[in-house]
Amino acid sequence: MTNVTFIIIEKSYLIRKGLTSVIEKIPTTQIVQQFETAEELNASINSDVDFIICSPDQVVSLSKEFKQNAQLISLTAKSSKISAKINWAEHIYLEDTQKQIIKKLNDLIGNKTQKDSVSELPEEISKREADILKNIALGYSNKEIADKLFISTHTVVTHRKNITRKLGIKTVPGLTIYAILNKLIDINDSGQLT
Amino acid sequence: MLITRNIKMADVIHLNYFTLTVLNRFGIELGFGDKSVEDVCKMYQVDADFFLEIVNTFVDKDYFPKKHLQTFPVKLITNYLQKTHDDYHQNKVPEIEFLIEQMVNSCYTQKDKIVLLKKFFNDYKQELLNHTKREEEVVFPYTLAIEKAYLSDKPDQSVLKLMETYSIDVFQNEHDNIEEKLFDLKNIIIKYLPQPKNSKLCNKLLFELFNLEQDLNDHSRIEEKVLVPKIRQMEKIITEGFAQTK
Ligand SMILES: [Fe+2]
Ligand SMILES: [Fe+2]
Repeated sequence: MTNVTFIIIEKSYLIRKGLTSVIEKIPTTQIVQQFETAEELNASINSDVDFIICSPDQVVSLSKEFKQNAQLISLTAKSSKISAKINWAEHIYLEDTQKQIIKKLNDLIGNKTQKDSVSELPEEISKREADILKNIALGYSNKEIADKLFISTHTVVTHRKNITRKLGIKTVPGLTIYAILNKLIDINDSGQLT
Repeated sequence: MLITRNIKMADVIHLNYFTLTVLNRFGIELGFGDKSVEDVCKMYQVDADFFLEIVNTFVDKDYFPKKHLQTFPVKLITNYLQKTHDDYHQNKVPEIEFLIEQMVNSCYTQKDKIVLLKKFFNDYKQELLNHTKREEEVVFPYTLAIEKAYLSDKPDQSVLKLMETYSIDVFQNEHDNIEEKLFDLKNIIIKYLPQPKNSKLCNKLLFELFNLEQDLNDHSRIEEKVLVPKIRQMEKIITEGFAQTK
């Protein structure tokens, strides 16, 4: 199972801490990082995130990259105005109970994981992905794999991302070991580990 | 709980025994009786403020007073980073190597697979060595030179020359994520290494891998969130100062 990742942008330490402890109660969730302002987040390297929870006034300074890749969740008091221009996935209010927050987030996560599972089988890697994994382990580059399998480099990159997400292995040497352990390639054939 | 200068040093360890690593890096040895953090620091000529911030960030991953950390002299920061590198190479890495070696030796049915782990970690060790060597030979000396120029009242031509060929942003861009492979190794052992395996050894090994990974996270955070912004700020002021004297 893959983790759903959150970033919290919030000036108040108390609120950040509190919200984090609520989110951590939901299985398969993970707080990637906490920031005081959107600028701080922009300056960081992390861009792989599913949800960003922040107060509406931070969205203006949030970089495009994050706005496109992540869904936004507002964090305000019930009384404050929330700009309708932004495409909010959900609203969390400071007055919400723990139960309410968990319900809202669970619904969101449920939607997301369902969407993901339509396009691919969870956990198991597909036949195509196994083919690509095999070639990675043999030491071929994305371009070479694309040429060999008559697909675009972009497609190879997408497959690689999925393989990494499913297996929880990020590096080529790591993937190579996986390929050998699962007999996709022979120890003597590996480009990396000989 | 935030550790403060009046707490007994012994209680710091009771609070979280992982702090022993930090004490080692500051050269503080055991046997300090009931002395406070401040007194023990004085004994070992350690800057108590700096020690406190380092030990607190080490214990609580949510505590990270960037701005305050950036106020400490570069020498203090790089010294601690250097000591941490030494600890990796002298203690943490050899310990992991030892455990993997034991796994190889105690396994008969699938030696070839454990040997893969050994090779993997060997490559990783080399990578880590290159990483820290580059920092020690290029980055740390550069940051010290920048600080020296920053503190002196007359512009230093040689530092300006140096800044033409290198800058802290170059470091930030080339600074790669050294934790990734450890993450992979953990997952391979947890999820994919076939049975039977020596679970006692596996557990010990995993424990050490988690520990090193977390330590590296803490370490990289100091490099990227404390040292880099601090030096960038100094670079800016040096460049501006030079433009004015022209
Ligand atoms: Fe380092
Ligand atoms: Fe580093």
